[in-house]
Amino acid sequence: MSAIGELQRLNTSTGGPPRKRDTKAALLFLLPWFAGILLITAGPVAASFVLGFTDYNLIQPPEFNGLENIQRMLTDERLHHSLGVTFTYVFVSVPLQLAAALGLAMLLDRGMRGLPFYRSAFYLPSLLGSSVAIAVLWRQIFGAEGLINQMLGFFGIEGTGWISDPDTALSTLIVLNVWTFGAPMVIFLAGLRQIPVMYYEAAQIDGAGRWTQFRRITVPLLSPIIFFNLVLQIIHAFQSFTQAFVVSGGTGGPSDSTMFYTLYLYQRGFHSFDMGYASALAWLLLLIIAAFTAVNFWAAKRWVFYDD
Amino acid sequence: MRKVLVGALAALLLAGCGGSGGGAADGDLTSDKIELRFTWWGSDARHQRTQQVIDLWQKDHPNITVKGEFKEWNGYWDSLATTVAANDAPDVIQMDELYLASYAERGALLDLGTAGKNLAITDFDAKALATGAIDGKQYGLPTGVTTYSLIANTDLLAKYNVTLPDDATWTWDDLKSVGDRISKASGGEVTGLQSWGFDIGGVNIWARQNGASLYAPDGKVAIPADILAKYWQYLLDISKQGIAPPASVSVERAGAGLDQSGTATNKSAIGTWWNSQLTSLAKASGQNLKLLRIPGEGTATGAYYKPSMFWSISSRSKHPAEAAAFVNFLANSQEAADIMLTDRGIPANTKIRAALTGKLEGTDKAAAEFLDSVKVGEAPRVTPNGASDVEAILKRHTESVLFERETPQQAAEAFISELQAGIDAA
Repeated sequence: MSAIGELQRLNTSTGGPPRKRDTKAALLFLLPWFAGILLITAGPVAASFVLGFTDYNLIQPPEFNGLENIQRMLTDERLHHSLGVTFTYVFVSVPLQLAAALGLAMLLDRGMRGLPFYRSAFYLPSLLGSSVAIAVLWRQIFGAEGLINQMLGFFGIEGTGWISDPDTALSTLIVLNVWTFGAPMVIFLAGLRQIPVMYYEAAQIDGAGRWTQFRRITVPLLSPIIFFNLVLQIIHAFQSFTQAFVVSGGTGGPSDSTMFYTLYLYQRGFHSFDMGYASALAWLLLLIIAAFTAVNFWAAKRWVFYDD
Repeated sequence: MRKVLVGALAALLLAGCGGSGGGAADGDLTSDKIELRFTWWGSDARHQRTQQVIDLWQKDHPNITVKGEFKEWNGYWDSLATTVAANDAPDVIQMDELYLASYAERGALLDLGTAGKNLAITDFDAKALATGAIDGKQYGLPTGVTTYSLIANTDLLAKYNVTLPDDATWTWDDLKSVGDRISKASGGEVTGLQSWGFDIGGVNIWARQNGASLYAPDGKVAIPADILAKYWQYLLDISKQGIAPPASVSVERAGAGLDQSGTATNKSAIGTWWNSQLTSLAKASGQNLKLLRIPGEGTATGAYYKPSMFWSISSRSKHPAEAAAFVNFLANSQEAADIMLTDRGIPANTKIRAALTGKLEGTDKAAAEFLDSVKVGEAPRVTPNGASDVEAILKRHTESVLFERETPQQAAEAFISELQAGIDAA
């Protein structure tokens, strides 16, 4: 099992410069990022924390109102509903997306002809997925007279307006998120490349089938990568905004069926002139994401296998 | 410590707000090169007309560039809230009755009464002016008045051989049966009616015909739940009986804007609109459209003149005098009125209105004549501060009713309590 570790050690030690220079170079490369976060992100984040304890209508100066915003969260039914929508979205779309990513990565890993082309083709949706253009396209495809219904029409099936029907609207957004499996796929592909072929050869000689090979070799050796993708995609999904905003025209409709947490927060802040409450909501989202990430790391001890 | 933090934050947020750089609203116009930002929502037809008016004004004011920022209704208010919060509001703002109190009572709008010589309001009808005033301060100058109506596609009516009853006396049941005949005659190609649970005009009319009103004079929600429930029951009935499109189609169209409505695309024969929208709709439709009075007006008057929209100026404008002069041109210039015609309502400026009436043609003329033919009651109370998202609440419950996720009664009760909560919090 130490073959991979051995390889890594070999890779990093060939002609390795002194550690100090590494650190300096790293800091230098990180400098633009630090500048960005300090100048652009940190200020508003701190401000929103303070605003979370105020009544602030965007136009007049904020007024301190203690824990009122937090009390409101407890009884705000639309907030609870938006949490439900967001959790459904995260827990349905992320596993499906990762499964699709892993499946395709394993297919592509077989060294087929034209691999770079397929890799790019599958990666493309990830670049476009959260863009306004794709969300607009989605509206057209899933509209009452859209592509999907025209295709169904060939088979004599009458489809609904997928995006304007509260029973199906969220599903179209889940499909959209699953479709952007390219980013985790590329990472899986890199991970699969790291698993030495000799393990599979040895397993084959011992008579292990494809499923056993997958379960006993691929999954354990790939588990750090799976974990990485899982954490990243969960955080990403919690923060989804553009898709729901564009597809529902900013309303979270029909009947609040696509009311993501972020969209509700946005509506409170900018439609209802309720920026104090919206700021408190933003911090609640941060806490929720932090909690899920912490749980993820805790659970990881049980199933993620680090080979070193 | 907390107070210090909040105070510091407030200071940060308000930094620069007090800038009196441009001087007073009644001061002399500058001869420096400046830029005024002017924002409005509307259809393509309006954008073209407005740009022509801007070009006309700039001929006389070569040092002032007016930059038009136009949007579709839904995106407009998001954008306005964000720019006002960022202390980057456009100087001249097209304002709606729904939002007037929300912006004015929070100090975002200039009292136009302070513009003195730069902005004349003497030619305006006093009743119309009052719709833009709050506590004696003129925060909005009404561009025109408009009234709720039905717009029928007469080409479709002729095609399916359906004749209309007298619209002075017809009832809601008559409308239903007319719609039903059109839907059936077309074999599903078009629907007789277009669903209208997405704008507040329909609710106002319904309440008033039933002897109620949406808001009481003190700004509290006053419509009884059972009256509102009947309104939604009607919409649910026409949707389920195929008189109006199925729920998902209605919802999709409601989110897509005027140019993609059933009326504009000739897919619904009759829809509810403000009468001033006739020209934009006729342009998009390309067929013959006709204004009709709302059903039920024969027995109880629900109709009213709504200020179609207002001209407002940001209280933080750096060029209030120039902005006021530009609004003066929009509101008082005959040249400008000759271009805009009735697109922003039949002008509330009485001189302009008198001069314009003879010049109107086609749909503009029809819209003006229709307005005069409608019997109206007192205008409803201005939408209270905190209720500006009333249409979003209405739309959500209409969706729930049409998809039968809520009964009309449940929707009515939830609507009332949500709306009241918003007003209480403001």
